[in-house]
Amino acid sequence: MSDRAPGMPDVAPRLPQGTPRTSHLAPQVPSVWPSAMRIFDLSLGQMLWSRRSVFLGLLLGGPVILAVILRIVDSLHSSGFRVNGAAVGGSAIFGMMIWLLFIRFIVPVLGVFYGTALIADEVEDKTITYLFTRPIPRRAVLFGKYFAYLACTVLLVLPSVMLVFFLIVPTGGGSIGAAFPSLAADLGMLVVGLAAYGAVFALVGTRLKRPLVVGLVFAFGWEPAVLLFPGYLKRLSVAYYLQALVTHEMPQDSAVSVLLQIFHEVPSVTVSLVALGGIVAVALWLAGRAVEQREYILEQ
Amino acid sequence: MTTKTRYFVVISLLVLGVGFGTGLVAYYVGFPAGAFASRGGPADLGFVPRNASVIAFANVHEIMTSELRQKMRRAIPIQENGQQELQEQTGINLETDIDTIVACMSPDVATSKGAGMVLARGRFDETKIEALMREHGAHVETYNGKRLVVADPKDFVDKDATGDVTAHPHSSLSLSFMEPGLAAIGSTALIKSAIDLHKSGNNPQAGLESVTGNDELMNLVRSMDSANAWAVGSGTARELTPRKPCFEPPSAATFDAAAHAIEAGMTTVVPRIASDVTMPSASPDESSSAPPFSAPCGDC
Repeated sequence: MSDRAPGMPDVAPRLPQGTPRTSHLAPQVPSVWPSAMRIFDLSLGQMLWSRRSVFLGLLLGGPVILAVILRIVDSLHSSGFRVNGAAVGGSAIFGMMIWLLFIRFIVPVLGVFYGTALIADEVEDKTITYLFTRPIPRRAVLFGKYFAYLACTVLLVLPSVMLVFFLIVPTGGGSIGAAFPSLAADLGMLVVGLAAYGAVFALVGTRLKRPLVVGLVFAFGWEPAVLLFPGYLKRLSVAYYLQALVTHEMPQDSAVSVLLQIFHEVPSVTVSLVALGGIVAVALWLAGRAVEQREYILEQ
Repeated sequence: MTTKTRYFVVISLLVLGVGFGTGLVAYYVGFPAGAFASRGGPADLGFVPRNASVIAFANVHEIMTSELRQKMRRAIPIQENGQQELQEQTGINLETDIDTIVACMSPDVATSKGAGMVLARGRFDETKIEALMREHGAHVETYNGKRLVVADPKDFVDKDATGDVTAHPHSSLSLSFMEPGLAAIGSTALIKSAIDLHKSGNNPQAGLESVTGNDELMNLVRSMDSANAWAVGSGTARELTPRKPCFEPPSAATFDAAAHAIEAGMTTVVPRIASDVTMPSASPDESSSAPPFSAPCGDC
C-alpha cells in the first residue's frame, strides 16, 4: 500500500532497472513561462471577480454613460455640441475624452490600483506562502499576475473605448471611417500605457512598503508636475512617452493644460515605443528580482 | 479558467471584434449616408460632394405656406405665368409638389468654372420631365445603375439675328431621379458624384466623401439651427464665383461667408440679416492688392 495521500501525484521519477537510487533527487523546477501561464490562469478569474472589479466597472462605465448622455443630448439638439459658441465635432469630443478620462485618469489609476496589489494583496491576505511553496520560480508568480492584470484591464478598457467611440464620433458630423485609424492608434496606445504603468507599479508594489500611497503620488503628483517644467526631468515619467502616442489634440481645458501645451515636447513615436518597451522590461525584471530575493514576513 | 471568466473574455473580445470589423468596413467601404449619423442639416447633404464651396437649402413647403408669403401675395399680386408654364411643361406645382431644395456649387477644376447641382425633394412626374428634356435634345445614359438624362454642351445653342448658331461654353447638364421623390439636376460630374454617394455612402479611402465630412462647412450648417432657408459658403473668391471675378481678393487666403439672410422672417416674421466674413489672414500680395481701374471683363 502506498503511503501517498489520496489524490497526490506520484512525483518520484520512475528509474530504469539497475539504476542506483540516490537518497536525494533534485526536484525538476518548471521554467518561468509555463509557470507564469498557470498563475495567469488562476489570477485572471480572481482579479475579474474581486471587489476591486466593482471599482473598475464604475471607472470604465462612467465614460460609456457619459457618451450615452452626450448622444441623447446631441439627438435632441440639431445644432450639436458647442464650446464657446463654436460647434464641435464628434471626433474632437472623443479625442477630449481619450485625453482627459483615459490617459490622464483611468490608465494611471488602473496601473496604481492593480499593479501595486499584484504581490501586496497576497502578502496582506497571507496567501503568498501558498504560491511561494509551489515548485515554481518566484518571479513566475509576479509575471503571471502581471499578465492577468494586463488581460483583465485590456479586456475592460478597450471595449469601453470602443463603445464610447461609436456613441460619440458620429455626432456633430463626425465620420466613423475617417476617425477609425485614430481609434486603432488609441487602442494600441492604451494597451502600451496599461502595460507600462502596470510594470512600474508592480515594481513599486514589490519593493516598497506603502506601494499604493507611493503609486498615487507618482501618478498624480510627480508625473503631472514634471511635465509642467521644461528640461529633462519629464523623461523620468511614463506620461511623457505615452502622450507622444496620442493622435488627438491636447485639450486646453485649464491653466495647467495650457502650460502643458506650452512645454509639450513630443518625442517621436519610435522613441516613445522603445522607451515604453524599455520601461516595461526593466521594471518587470527588477520586480522579478525583488520577488526572488525579498523575504516577505507575514504579520500574525 | 472558470466558465464565468471564459464568458467574460468571449464577450469582451466580441465587442472588440465587432467594433474593429465595423470600423474597418467604414474605413475601406464607407457607410451609406445616414448610418449612425446625426450630422445636422438636411439628409440630402449626404449627396453633396465634399469640395462644395457653397451650399444652400430651402424648405420650399414651409416657405410657400408661411404667413409672410401669404401677406406678400396679398400686398403684391404677381402674375404667376412662369409657375403656370412650369407646371404645364413638367407637371411640377411649386406650391405643393416641392418640399425641400438643396443646392450646391463647387469649383470645377477641369473647366476652371463653377459646377452646380440642385437636389429637390417632392413629388415629380418623372416620365413627363424626362420626355421634356429629351424633346430638347437630351439623351439617356445609365450610370451606376441610375438613369441619367444628359444634355450635352452642343445642345445649348443660341441663334443670333443673322441666324448663325453659336454654342455656349457650358459644361454638360444632367438630371437623375436618384430615388423616388428625389430629383438631382446640375452639372453631369456633380450628378455622377451624387449617385456614387447615394450608392456607396462616404468612402474617404476611395476619394468619395460628402460635404458632411467637411467640418468647416458643416459647422456653419449646424449654426443655422432651424432656419427654413439658408446658404453657407467657404473658399476663395475663385471657388465661390462661377466666373473669374474682375477683382480677386489679395493673397491666396481663403474666406468664409455664412449668410443667414434668407432666414428673413419666413417663419420668424422678424427679418434677420447677418453675414460673417473672415478677412484674409495672410498679408496681401502687393502686385494684386489694388483693383484694376477698369474691369477687364467690361461687365462691372
